[in-house]
Amino acid sequence: MEATREIYWNVGHGVVIPMYLLALAAFAVLVRGFLQRLPVYRLGKPLDRFDRYDERVKRLIGGLFSQEKVSRVRDGGVPHALFFWGFLTLFAGTVMVMLQADFLTPLLHVNLLSGEFYKAYSLVLDAAGLVATLMLAGLFIRRFAMKPEGLEIVDDDIRIHTILFAILITGFLLEGARMAVTELQQNPDLARFSPVGLLAARLFTSYDNPSIMAAHKVLWWLHFALVLGFFCMIPYSKLRHIFTTSINAFFAPLEPKGAIATINMEDESAEQFGAAKVTDLAWKDIFDADACTSCKRCQDRCPAYATGKPLSPMKVVQQIGEVAFGKPGADLCATVTDEVLWACTTCRACQEICPADIEHVNKILEMRRNLTLMEGAFPGDEVRTATGNTEVNGNPFGLAYAGRGEWAEGLPVSLMESGAEVDILYFVGCYASFDKRNREVARNFVRICNAAGVRVGILGKEEKCCGEPVRKLGNEYLYQMVAQENIELIKAYGIKKIVTTCPHCFNTLGRDYRDLGLDLPVEHYTTFVHNLLNKGVIKLRAEAEPFAFTYHDSCYIGRYMDILDQPRSLLQAAGGRLTEMAKSGYESFCCGAGGGLILAEEKTGTKISEARLTMVKETGAPLLVSNCPFCLTMFEDGIKTGGHEGEIMVRDLAEIVAERLEGV
Amino acid sequence: MKILVCIKQVPDMESRFKANSQGVWFEETDLAFRMNEYDEYAVEQAVQLKEQLGDAPEVTVLSIGPDRVVEAIKKALAMGCDRGVHVQDPAAATRDPWQIASIIASHAGDKGYDLILTGMQSQDRGSAQVGVTVAEELGYACATTLVGFAFSDGTVTAKRELEGGIKGVVRLRTPALVTCQLGLNVPRYPTLPNIMKAKKKEIQTIAVAELLKEEPLATTVSFHPPARKGGGIVLEGDVGVLVDQLLGILKDKTAVLR
Repeated sequence: MEATREIYWNVGHGVVIPMYLLALAAFAVLVRGFLQRLPVYRLGKPLDRFDRYDERVKRLIGGLFSQEKVSRVRDGGVPHALFFWGFLTLFAGTVMVMLQADFLTPLLHVNLLSGEFYKAYSLVLDAAGLVATLMLAGLFIRRFAMKPEGLEIVDDDIRIHTILFAILITGFLLEGARMAVTELQQNPDLARFSPVGLLAARLFTSYDNPSIMAAHKVLWWLHFALVLGFFCMIPYSKLRHIFTTSINAFFAPLEPKGAIATINMEDESAEQFGAAKVTDLAWKDIFDADACTSCKRCQDRCPAYATGKPLSPMKVVQQIGEVAFGKPGADLCATVTDEVLWACTTCRACQEICPADIEHVNKILEMRRNLTLMEGAFPGDEVRTATGNTEVNGNPFGLAYAGRGEWAEGLPVSLMESGAEVDILYFVGCYASFDKRNREVARNFVRICNAAGVRVGILGKEEKCCGEPVRKLGNEYLYQMVAQENIELIKAYGIKKIVTTCPHCFNTLGRDYRDLGLDLPVEHYTTFVHNLLNKGVIKLRAEAEPFAFTYHDSCYIGRYMDILDQPRSLLQAAGGRLTEMAKSGYESFCCGAGGGLILAEEKTGTKISEARLTMVKETGAPLLVSNCPFCLTMFEDGIKTGGHEGEIMVRDLAEIVAERLEGV
Repeated sequence: MKILVCIKQVPDMESRFKANSQGVWFEETDLAFRMNEYDEYAVEQAVQLKEQLGDAPEVTVLSIGPDRVVEAIKKALAMGCDRGVHVQDPAAATRDPWQIASIIASHAGDKGYDLILTGMQSQDRGSAQVGVTVAEELGYACATTLVGFAFSDGTVTAKRELEGGIKGVVRLRTPALVTCQLGLNVPRYPTLPNIMKAKKKEIQTIAVAELLKEEPLATTVSFHPPARKGGGIVLEGDVGVLVDQLLGILKDKTAVLR
């Protein structure tokens, strides 16, 4: 007997027309639900996210079918991905039945769902249904019994779990009822290819055929109604993420990570800077709120949230949605609150992990721009002072700008104004120029360059703050003012290459200054020195001085610039034995100084730097190596306030490398 | 109502000061300039009063000095002043307080300002004479070192800082002049729209010769850093070594251990 099945068995072909009409109606409800949301997305400002179409489509397809971003976090993510694949397979199977019954059979008179293929089809679909059911059960237990910290339970959750369970269970019962009357009696061999259906069929065997067939009809319509209900629910519940989250992979930014819109200061018609209302944000920012699945992965990784600050990146995204859909004219910044907005270190951990391609950081920056540029607000008076200092003296400390180059006295460094020939411009930055501890880093970097025969030039007192901290606090005006001065200077000297020791300067000069007209290669010293080592220009004494250490990935070198391996390999080449912290690489935990907060006092919660030092302590390594002046400053401070003196020492990568230079 | 705020642009006090070649004032190279701190309180108070009176008063900001002082005037305009007056005087740094006050008084003489605000003193010369002298020349009521300010019905109620933490409250009928002290208010940070608007506000330039008719009454004889009297010593390093070093210093340079 051939392995196949009769489609519309028992219910008859009479259901076809009402079935399609009802399906069409459900589809219409679904489309209408999304169409109703379109005007709300359109409240946002225009933003082109349809450019580079092919690349976007690739991301969409790849992201959707691989479920790579979802499954990256095992807890919750892997079961969700398996559930997705299971449900998708069931959907595909149903579509095949539809094609077979209503197109292939009547039009072409071929039956694909037969023979060996049908056996495989049966087995795969049964397995998919089983996997989906088990994963759903697992996710149900996780959400409602295990209750992970921070995972919110809303009414939608219980409805969604119920309807999905009901669809899967009625599906298996339906299959069982059909099998009890057909396969079990006529072709038991074939029944083995539907193991779950077989189990369900056994439930029916004690009943007579007419009763089972009556039950089958009821189940058929019930299953169908549930599926239609599911479709109708999509746009009106959290289920909408099936579409919005998937499509967001298409809308994801393709610019370099960390790119921020540069405000046109020449535009005299502009009356609003930054986002005071949702209508000042881009449509994508509102759409993001719809794409959010409340998975709280961002919140789990937020250093501000982890240390008792009021910020949750997830809640900020959701609040934008609530305001957009509820009261779009409301004061968005007041809804989110200043305290929340000032708490962000722009560490990007939220955005890096988000499975829905939501852009958390720039939303916060746009709102900060409103606070700063429209209201003249600051997180605290100390920031007001530091901003004033940056304006007057070009550094946040308020120290005399004339002393900016003094750290280099006695070192083989040329001042650009002397007209000397140089290989690189070392853009020193405020901390390495003025801060006593960080001046050591600058000096050691110069020693490395000198050993490699690299001629280093600096701008000295002509250099100004790169503008990063004030920009991240929302002060685009001051940022562009100092940036323009730096750019004009750098261009005038005909510089070919810039190297920085500060990741913040590196990101700003290398990426952000491009918008303002600086188009030069900019490199961070970690890759620059790594390159010198690789080329054999410098050699390190590895064996002579082995040391144990743990390494802190600064946000702006790691997550923002993907530089993870070079610093590690440099330190290992210098004789280091690395013990990684629980959070490292892309999952690294901020020191607390990003987003301009290096200028601010940490007034609420516990100190982020101390939380990180606790992770350092857990490795047992006595030495913490970092690559950023802000990190170094935060950790030096945290070691003192957290009581780690004599227990943990923090040093910069440049200091380690310089000490172990061969032949110096 | 017409309000005048007098401001001075001064070097940032963290700057590296060097005496100029005549040895009577500082060299301007390598100095960063900003608005005199006390004058910022004056500007803020004027703008607050303007806001209190529903934008009715016109606030004029005046500064005397070379072209660089226009930056300070622009900042005051961005903070909310309506118009600027730049008394162009490349030699302003050599004027004594009497001359500066005379310039302001001769500008203000026929303008009918109801209220004049100045800083309590400048951060660089620090004479604290200009405000009171202007008031005297114009015959205005005057109160100095304000840490509190209220205005209603043409009367200023001023809280003044006295010695030893004591405060005094005085009332002045306008026209009046007040000088402002730290603690009076927190000067606002100019918003970007206001910075943009300020670019279009009028700044009138007047040559100093038109206003200055007076000879100096006091002359600066010398400007020099204080003689070094042996600064502090910071000892760093191993505690054991530090103790020995300290003992050595105490023995050699003090009478403590004798």
